[in-house]
Amino acid sequence: MRRVLVTHIESPVGRRLAKALYHDPEVALVVGAGTEPEPSFLAPYRGKIAYQRLDLAKARHLQSFLHSERFARARVDSVIHLPFVSEQPGERVPGGVPSLVSETRRLVEECVARPAIERFVYLSSVFVYSPEPGNVNIVSENQLLGFDGEGDVDVRAWIDADLICQGELHGSSLRTTILRAATIITEAGEFLNSPPLAHGEVQVGYDPMLSVVSDRDVARALVLALHADRPGIYNVAGREIFPRSQLRDSSRRLGPITLPDSLGGALSLVEQALGRRPAHVTSFHRYGVVVNTRLAHDVLGFEPQYRIEVRGQGARRRIDTVRCR
Amino acid sequence: MTSDEGIVGDGPALGSDPFLQSDGTLPYLLRLREASLRMVTEARAQPQGRERELPSEPPDLGPPIPELPSFDDRDESAGALDRLASWLLTRADDDRLAQIFAPLDGRPYDDFGMSPRVARRALAFFKLIYKYWFRVESSGHAFIPEKEGAILAANHGGLLPFDATMVVADGILGGKPPRLIRTVVDRWAGSLPFVNVFYARVGQVIGSRDNVREMLGAKQLVLIFPEGMAGIRKRAADRYVLQSFHLGFVEESLRHRVPIIPVAIVGADDQAPILWDAQPLAKLLGLPFFPITPTFPLFGPLGLLPYPVRYEIAYGEPFRFHEEFPAETADDPHAVRYMAEQVRRRIQEMVDQRVIARRTKRT
Repeated sequence: MRRVLVTHIESPVGRRLAKALYHDPEVALVVGAGTEPEPSFLAPYRGKIAYQRLDLAKARHLQSFLHSERFARARVDSVIHLPFVSEQPGERVPGGVPSLVSETRRLVEECVARPAIERFVYLSSVFVYSPEPGNVNIVSENQLLGFDGEGDVDVRAWIDADLICQGELHGSSLRTTILRAATIITEAGEFLNSPPLAHGEVQVGYDPMLSVVSDRDVARALVLALHADRPGIYNVAGREIFPRSQLRDSSRRLGPITLPDSLGGALSLVEQALGRRPAHVTSFHRYGVVVNTRLAHDVLGFEPQYRIEVRGQGARRRIDTVRCR
Repeated sequence: MTSDEGIVGDGPALGSDPFLQSDGTLPYLLRLREASLRMVTEARAQPQGRERELPSEPPDLGPPIPELPSFDDRDESAGALDRLASWLLTRADDDRLAQIFAPLDGRPYDDFGMSPRVARRALAFFKLIYKYWFRVESSGHAFIPEKEGAILAANHGGLLPFDATMVVADGILGGKPPRLIRTVVDRWAGSLPFVNVFYARVGQVIGSRDNVREMLGAKQLVLIFPEGMAGIRKRAADRYVLQSFHLGFVEESLRHRVPIIPVAIVGADDQAPILWDAQPLAKLLGLPFFPITPTFPLFGPLGLLPYPVRYEIAYGEPFRFHEEFPAETADDPHAVRYMAEQVRRRIQEMVDQRVIARRTKRT
């Protein structure tokens, strides 16, 4: 029976995870941590899930909680860390996305220092991989990460946090499992953990394919990872993949459009001079990230249960998740 | 009061806390322990192993969402291109496409980004080229496996890759049964705007070993031009002379235990004879080569269009190296080079036979 601490439980994925853990007979107790006051969606689960207001970005908050009697009584033996899956992670956290890296480092160090905590599950993103034209189309877990000093700040933060958790994969008492999830799509049609979609830029002449996954499937994968006997890194994605141009959520439209360097060199220079060239056009806007989920299937037993469809035409196009029958 | 006090500790935000005694009669933890002991006893009675740990049924995560129309229904307002494709393709062609795309099970894209809808439109266009521009004749379809994966190794030529397109069209229109042949294209093509999208949507894949592994693992037919870029940049004086082969296709054949089918393509080397490769200009423009042909750059981009030459595609008897050698042979460069040379010679023979037959026919 697991006793689990879930960070950022107020996020859309945390919400799904709370429900999944509540119904999981193998989980005895859940401590959900979040920066906001107790969210109302936890009310039906109070028999099993306790909410703890906790700002992980502040070291003393975490220290105070970990040394409190409340934590001792909870006898937490597993941690599920969901740092980047809030709607707007950069806006919600005072220090921006990079502070989530320090938060992850701090949490991992604290978990390692406490032998009672046996398992650590970290939700990462497939955007830690490096998409290039020469790369594989279907990325496996052993693909190199996309180290780029001038790359997207969000992606760099993701990679840093991923590497911190990878450091505990071997030779550590903490059984660490890293789930690298594709673009997460919520029931409301919002996108999570996808920097290229969040920033919205589009580059003419490119329409990369992206793996997508339902937030409910991610919650299921996290539960499976919690119980898994074999720690490691696993890609998590649904069955469907979509071109970038089809993925528009209900609120966001396509962002600024830029010409590729090879086509409009002169125009790009003019754009740059006018300060109109977006800063976030990276290889993610050109090359796809489609992931191979075979390992998650074979080891964790993960099988996506929800279909994701794109409905409508043109600007009315929107995403839907559908229960698999 | 410090800022910590409002966040950590038994604050008001905690509500009905499961750590605290609820009614004063029985401590919550005691009740929880009793429940845990009961669950442990029940769990021990259940079978051990991963089946026990993983819930067989997913937890109910929300109310069901009404069923949506299938992917086919969303194209009610089919565009002009779709209507044109319907006009150009026969019922038999559509049946062949349906057979090919059946494994997609209604998904709008496959794992490499191929769209059945775009592929159908492209086939309608290339069918015209296949039948009326290049007047393709093909033979040896019996050597193509009906269901299994294989590597098709072909000679390459003709500036623009119409040879690959014609082999793919031939696999759909002339295959018995129809099969989708997936061409491995140069990595450089993957960085070209628009071209990369078109290639992906019609089922072509960027050349990397992992991609080939994925495709062969899925029992697909993979068309490889072992000459690489050297094949299409060779000058008119060298046409139908096969350049040296890259060895990767033999290694992948041995590793993935699939046969190599030699494919001879005659006609491609005549479609745009290259008189000179202007390398200095190519370097300046960042291109792998800059061809000078009788029509390019004289007539601008139109000069790149292929001449209406007759195409002949011949599939030869497969090489089954994988049945004679273990997979480890792929790591022996001498053996691999020898095998690649065998394939090269066979394709050269097939090409020579057909080129001579053509010349004899003309005279």
